[in-house]
Amino acid sequence: MLIKKSAAPGNASRQLPGPVARHLGATMDRRAFLRRSGLGAGAGVLAAQLPYNLIGSADAANPGAQSATGGEEVRRTVCTHCSVGCAIDAIVKNGVWVRQEPVFDSPINLGAHCAKGASVREHGHGEHRLKYPMKLVDGKYQKISWEQAINEVGDRLLKIRAESGPDAVYWIGSSKHSNEQAYLMRKFVSFFGTNNMDHQARICHSTTVAGVANTWGYGAMTNSYNDMQNARAMLFIGSNAAEAHPVSLLHILHAKETGAKMIVVDPRFTRTAAKADYYARIRSGTDIPFIWGMLYHIFENGWEDREYIRQRVYGLDKVREEVMKWTPDKVLEVTGIAEEQVYTIAEMLAKNKPSTVVWCMGQTQHTVGNGNVRAMCILQLVLGNVGVSGGGTNIFRGHDNVQGATDVGPNPDSLPGYYGLATGSWQHWCRVWGVDYEWVKSRYASEELMTKSGITVSRWIDGVLENPADIDQPGNLRAVVYWGHAPNSQTRGAEMVEAMKKLDTLVVIDPYPSATASMAAMVRKDGVYLLPAATQFETSGSATASNRSLQWREKVIEPLFESKPDQTIMYAFARKFGFADELVKNIKLVKDKQGWDEPEPEDILREINRGTWTIGYTGQSPERLKLHMQNMHTFDVKTLRAHGGPCDGDYFGLPWPCYGNPELKHPGTPNLYDTSKHVMEGGGNFRANFGVEKDGVSLLAEDGSASKGAELQMGYPEFDDVLLKKLGWWDELTDAEKAAAEGRNWKTDLSGGIIRVAMQNHGMHPFGNAKARALVWNFPDPVPLHREPIYSPRPDLVDKYPTHEDKMKFWRLPTLYKTLQDKVRDISKEYPLIMTSGRLVEYEGGGEETRSNPWLAELQQEMFAEVNPKDANDAGFRNGDYIWVESPTKARLKVRAQVTQRVAPGTVFLPFHFSGWWQGRDMLEFYPEGAAPIVRGEAVNTATTYGYDSVTMMQETKTTLCRVSKA
Amino acid sequence: MKPRFPLGLPAAVAAFVLLAGCSEEPQVVQYEQGKYQGKTDSRPWEGGAFNGDKTAWERALHDRVRSQNEYRRVE
Amino acid sequence: MARMKFLCDAERCIECNGCVTACKNEHEVPWGVNRRRVVTINDGVPGERSMSVACMHCSDAPCIAVCPTNVIYHTEEGVVLHDKDGCIGCGYCFYACPFGAPQFPNGPAAFGARGKMDKCTFCAGGPEENHSDAEFEKYGRNRLAQGKLPLCAEMCSTKALLAGDAAELSDIFRERALRRGKGFEAWGWMTAYGKDKEEAK
Repeated sequence: MLIKKSAAPGNASRQLPGPVARHLGATMDRRAFLRRSGLGAGAGVLAAQLPYNLIGSADAANPGAQSATGGEEVRRTVCTHCSVGCAIDAIVKNGVWVRQEPVFDSPINLGAHCAKGASVREHGHGEHRLKYPMKLVDGKYQKISWEQAINEVGDRLLKIRAESGPDAVYWIGSSKHSNEQAYLMRKFVSFFGTNNMDHQARICHSTTVAGVANTWGYGAMTNSYNDMQNARAMLFIGSNAAEAHPVSLLHILHAKETGAKMIVVDPRFTRTAAKADYYARIRSGTDIPFIWGMLYHIFENGWEDREYIRQRVYGLDKVREEVMKWTPDKVLEVTGIAEEQVYTIAEMLAKNKPSTVVWCMGQTQHTVGNGNVRAMCILQLVLGNVGVSGGGTNIFRGHDNVQGATDVGPNPDSLPGYYGLATGSWQHWCRVWGVDYEWVKSRYASEELMTKSGITVSRWIDGVLENPADIDQPGNLRAVVYWGHAPNSQTRGAEMVEAMKKLDTLVVIDPYPSATASMAAMVRKDGVYLLPAATQFETSGSATASNRSLQWREKVIEPLFESKPDQTIMYAFARKFGFADELVKNIKLVKDKQGWDEPEPEDILREINRGTWTIGYTGQSPERLKLHMQNMHTFDVKTLRAHGGPCDGDYFGLPWPCYGNPELKHPGTPNLYDTSKHVMEGGGNFRANFGVEKDGVSLLAEDGSASKGAELQMGYPEFDDVLLKKLGWWDELTDAEKAAAEGRNWKTDLSGGIIRVAMQNHGMHPFGNAKARALVWNFPDPVPLHREPIYSPRPDLVDKYPTHEDKMKFWRLPTLYKTLQDKVRDISKEYPLIMTSGRLVEYEGGGEETRSNPWLAELQQEMFAEVNPKDANDAGFRNGDYIWVESPTKARLKVRAQVTQRVAPGTVFLPFHFSGWWQGRDMLEFYPEGAAPIVRGEAVNTATTYGYDSVTMMQETKTTLCRVSKA
Repeated sequence: MKPRFPLGLPAAVAAFVLLAGCSEEPQVVQYEQGKYQGKTDSRPWEGGAFNGDKTAWERALHDRVRSQNEYRRVE
Repeated sequence: MARMKFLCDAERCIECNGCVTACKNEHEVPWGVNRRRVVTINDGVPGERSMSVACMHCSDAPCIAVCPTNVIYHTEEGVVLHDKDGCIGCGYCFYACPFGAPQFPNGPAAFGARGKMDKCTFCAGGPEENHSDAEFEKYGRNRLAQGKLPLCAEMCSTKALLAGDAAELSDIFRERALRRGKGFEAWGWMTAYGKDKEEAK
């Protein structure tokens, strides 16, 4: 017992570990700073809710501790906050979610959670959620019934459809929908008669999906978080995994611990950088010169994998020409990274193989986003790192099901499974849906609009505001339905409120619709409807994690308040619109507690299984997925493969492609394009998706490059009935399969017979065996070229590396590049600082959901901007002051200054999860009563500027300009 | 001559008493060991899930500790 | 006898606040009270390190020594707990604690403006019947009595924060240290073994 210490230590501070003492003494970290500055606001908001006693009293809504077993049920679900896919055991008692336990068995997270994952139980209480349907009346939100909501919204949309055509309604779906909901939404909006739909993937990884798929076949992370344990070197560029994907660090730090080199290249010294072996600071928006700079050294030193390139890569010569122009002095001039650093990183990657690369929105959200990601692919191809365990391009997706929603959900340019919008694609899906193609065609304004990509979510505001004569569709958008999507995640917020003002009808369907609701109520008096959707914990369904594994969520609790699951709401609207029977032709309906019809998620997944052959969403039957969820402990953490047990041989979550029928028992594909494995063991090769030759040069892979055990050890085209007959394998089909396969290819043969024969009988890949394309001839820049951002801080470099020419018809809209860049060439004189944005660990996406969660909100109470001490001193403000961040749009953000060396002089960083303040003003009065989030702040995108990727219409958020001043 | 001894006795006594203040005795207050005065607590393995089986409880905790070590499941 | 301890591996802590949130979730800890928090040094510059800190459940706990009402105690497993019924909210334990672990919820309370002291219980409840409502209301859940460890450590995103028997934690940590095979770049190395002139890392 400590009563008296007789020997006084010489130095009192030795009682504390040095660093802790220092922290408690002088230093101030970001969180302490924010906690202090925001204490008043937070405490004020919450004072009313605080129980006097430390612990909230036990009552019906919040029962206290119970005996370990009494009446408790365990439901296994998956966190909805990012794409890692952390499993959660929810403990439910009397219908109330009372506890949350870690799932140590999960091979993905081994029980681990970040702040967001550890907080999901709060969804089961949802104090700040929208509780019932509401309608804007005279500038205030009023409660209405569901019946009234469906009828009024339905009538308004039908009226617009009749007056202006189906393309006048824009549907913004969600990457937070389950696969089943996202898929049903694609179908639902198609039956409404338009391709004007989109979801978060557009503004998150659309450039990745397009760039990567066009390089080698599939638009997804090639390997897995787990597989990174096999890497010997890892390059993170434009990824702050420690904040955006914290549980991935479990595998990454494990790999580092066992010897892998960890490299971070980023404009900020991120928390990921703090864990790295090597860090280089890059000027935002100059990724391509940096990557070419590395390749320069790789080629100079002969570190490339020549045999791999010969066998499996097409068009590298052209790339090499461009690369060799990027001498170290030019790289330094553009990126700010010295030759020695570029060389060191290139050497680390080349000499510690397999090496992997990780990128996120730091690469994708640029006007040259598609070029950035293709340059990364080329780097990995040159090093021979693709299709290799421990290598690959590990593209960390954002939302929990953004991969799934991209694969099968509401995309403006494709039907589920990347089938595209061609007539043949429509016919394929009509067969799967059991509806007449002519009927679907009659739902559209014309066949032309049926096969033309819709407007993207990044540009819906222009669909409303643009001169109708310049829009490549019959007229402007008149109604927008926000179905699980935040408005503050899209750029040009100042123009967004103008678009909202001009709309005829705005519908928001969301558990937390408040950001959209408050922005709309700020500029409108009526015509806005809010409908309460249930969260993923109040329904069941599958979600596809970043590594392409599907996990099945059990329903944890009944929908709270008056909320309904999205599939139930879709069916209710389908009835109103008159296509309910067509929507659920093959899907069973079940009654919910209030007697509403709910399309059963299992049955929707079975329909997905029946149609999505292209990317192998066919083998993941609900039964197989549920079996995996209950036998997680049988899967190996490093390989994700089950050894023994009921899932023996499967990879966890049957990562797509999981080819063929469920009966084929394909195990899923842990690492794409891996020729060291048999195709029935998850092996593969690059896809033959771009023809067999280009300008007289074969695109097929060279001999010896086929997957293990393939009967033909050479390049070959994709399989169809003709090839099968040529090879003499046609008679291996059953009679029923022959009937289904006649005149079809592996993607449209609904029997799966072609796939079965190719894979099981002959070890061949149904999509053929081709080379990856270093040269993507169908893109504006076949070889990725550096082009300065539209709002560039370097006029001299704008002259050298100008952006694209303007495009007149691009996703139905005129799109500016060069004319705007020229106009703002010298604007950096007035706005000298680079404005960039990113994530915080506590919040997710637009942030309304997580800022409504008190456990998370307490950790980040105020919006802030990171400013370098030099820029702060030049502008005359100090740490903790309120400052104005003003962009060239003249929009001004009032935020706290966080003065830190984390950003370089000349760069200002703002997190993008905030909303609820508008240019200095708290929007609280515009929120529906009781549904305002706890923490509100300026949305960075209120001030972001114009700029879009030249392939996918990805918005530019990472490089624009601003100036700062004391508020 | 009067014997001096009786005179010396009070002096010696006085000297002893005076010198006592210069001894090596501790100069600080002796504190009592604080004794816990709150309610008694039951031990974790008592009642509930383990019903007094301390070995079972220790085994459960041991398993739980090991689950924090990912090296146990990797490699 | 098991000796319960926390251990935070600064090479792994990424300041994700999973531990902080897990604690809030499991014990329904209200706004403003942090039984656990993550501290960061060298924020935003090379050398940035974070560490999750709560009650360290000291063997020779200063809070026990100074509590004027003698309501803080050690359990057999070395967990430091207290009896809220006897707490007078004086805050002396907070003065004594080297880690700022004791918390004092706002609101009307037994003594002055302070509430009764609250702190990390190592998910071991307090001096009430195990799993009773009273125990939950005053101290939170008693995971230890369910054969489970503190939720903060069990949920740690990178397994940086470990909890359990000290000897077993040492084994886990030793294995990591051996695999890292690193010398002076490890955090704390220079403090422990570095030369006086060199700045501690």
